[in-house]
Amino acid sequence: MTRDELIKAAYDAVCAYEEEKALEIAHQSVEAGIAESDMLGEGYGAGIRHLGDLFERGEVFLPELVVASEIMQNVAAYYESRMTQKPKRPGKIVLSTVEGDVHDIGKGIVAAMMKSQGYEIIDLGRDRSAADIVAAAVDNGADFIGTSALLTTTMPEQKKIEAIMKKEGLKGKIKTIVGGAPITQRWADRIHADIYAEDANAAIHKVAAMMSA
Amino acid sequence: MRVELAKKMRIDEAKAYVAEKLGVEVSELNDVSVMREVRNDLNIGEPNARPENAFGLIAKARIAKLLDIKIPSVEKFRGMIDAEF
Amino acid sequence: MAEEKKYFTRYGDGYSTYMTKDEIKKDVERGVEDAASRGKIDPLTEAEKSYIVDIITMPAKMASVEPGKEVVLSSDEGTLKASVRCGVSIDRTTAVAVEERILCMDSAELAHIDYSYKPIKPIIFDEVCAMQHAELNSIIPLFYGAMPNLGLYTKPDGPYDNWAELLPAGKVAEAREAQEKAAEQAAKDIVSVADHMVEAGADALNMDTVGASGDADALAAFTAMKEIHRKYPDFPVEMGMAGEFFLGMHGKLTFEGEQLAGMYPHEQVKIAEKAGATIFGPTINTNSSETFAWNLARTCTFIKACSEESTIPIHPNVGMGVCSMCLTDSVPLDAASRADKAIVEIGRADGL
Repeated sequence: MTRDELIKAAYDAVCAYEEEKALEIAHQSVEAGIAESDMLGEGYGAGIRHLGDLFERGEVFLPELVVASEIMQNVAAYYESRMTQKPKRPGKIVLSTVEGDVHDIGKGIVAAMMKSQGYEIIDLGRDRSAADIVAAAVDNGADFIGTSALLTTTMPEQKKIEAIMKKEGLKGKIKTIVGGAPITQRWADRIHADIYAEDANAAIHKVAAMMSA
Repeated sequence: MRVELAKKMRIDEAKAYVAEKLGVEVSELNDVSVMREVRNDLNIGEPNARPENAFGLIAKARIAKLLDIKIPSVEKFRGMIDAEF
Repeated sequence: MAEEKKYFTRYGDGYSTYMTKDEIKKDVERGVEDAASRGKIDPLTEAEKSYIVDIITMPAKMASVEPGKEVVLSSDEGTLKASVRCGVSIDRTTAVAVEERILCMDSAELAHIDYSYKPIKPIIFDEVCAMQHAELNSIIPLFYGAMPNLGLYTKPDGPYDNWAELLPAGKVAEAREAQEKAAEQAAKDIVSVADHMVEAGADALNMDTVGASGDADALAAFTAMKEIHRKYPDFPVEMGMAGEFFLGMHGKLTFEGEQLAGMYPHEQVKIAEKAGATIFGPTINTNSSETFAWNLARTCTFIKACSEESTIPIHPNVGMGVCSMCLTDSVPLDAASRADKAIVEIGRADGL
């Protein structure tokens, strides 16, 4: 198969949730000398992002997204096993819903999707204080803090996180991602958060763009 | 609303049903000047409290009779009133 | 050349903006297309789209339906809004009287502060007494309302593992099993509360925010609805949805042979009818970052399709953050009244 055919096959295998096929294509791509970053980014990764779009429309469901995400992780592990030098993980992200907010479905979706892209996820669960979230990020050497707030009454917790970050001199060192139904770019700008993510796919794109900047 | 609940009727049908039972035009159901008189004449309760006006369950029982529908709370309390000692 | 006239309008988060008629038209077009494509439903007609633009650009601050097109109002959490949300120290029976005699509502809802069926069970006898007192003193239909709230059945609040944590960890089978067990228990809890509310003489029951925890949450509600209808065929129940489609947290759950995950309002209403619901409350999510025009056009497209499919009354949820209402604590009257008008006249709602 040509490079383009292999990339297409990788995309199709993820979208069809076919792990064996996905790994076989990974093997073929190594034999053909195609860059793993191309295969992961344009093939498998693009498949995951497509499924993310379908999930957001109610056409694909979370368990399927999780299965696809695991296929992607196993493919990445296969490529890793072929390398003499272990590749650096793209980043470490602390995730939580903010204090007073138990709505954790969206955060769980972001966790699954970001994992599929190779990020290390430290999921603090739900209803965690701003101080706890920042402390967990510092303790774990995280690159990002991602918080979700579904309620207008809990949105100010994201502002609290920014205030703690500023006070502790962490702004710029650890980037912040904010999301949730009432959250907008305007809110992110207002509280000086680094990234506003409308959904899981947006989080993937924006975090990747910031990492490569 | 009562007729939507009692008969699962859509709004246009429900309004026509109520208007017929009350002897008013559909357009008058939302006219406070008409409905104040209708409610007063039929003694089925009004927002402004007045002596002699039916209120609470009494008004509800009269509405059930007038609209020929079953109202769960009216049925419940009627059952309690009529229960054997 | 004179600058094109701009009209005051808003974004989904309530933030104000000014747009030209052409910009509004484009957003209406986009909103309709988005709903039609997601729901696989018919788009609005050109006349309907044009009418939405007229509603948004009309000069009056507040809009209203044409005479003769008035509808009735039901409300959720009614008795909690004064005392809990606004901090006005009144008891629930007084709150019902305020709704009836001061706000002139068409119905009211008695609710407990936890607003979920599960925590009501241990205090159900107090709730029955509260309902009886309120019923004795009110004329308008009185609902008892709460949410299925399947999240309360997950650890640490309940006995089952949290699928929102199991799934990202790749434990799909375990996540599915936890949801199935939680749905079964939740359905029993809802029926148990309904049993007592029938006994109390409640005029109706409201299952609010159905599907908030995904398709298993919806399964719990429909299963309970079917059982309540079997036991008490004349007892009215309103079912209000949490979002525009059932999120597939399980993905394989069915009710009456229909897969629940991914169902949009025009499909949800048919399941609600089969289960025996009296009134169906469709919900369309407001996108905070999109304009009011986009949100309203999208809402009307979905609601019209739902209304056309329905044989029972539909009361779209036009509260904060849904059905194009802005996601703000105090909803702006200009947007709220325009949304009401469009949803009734174009969406063909039977109530709100």
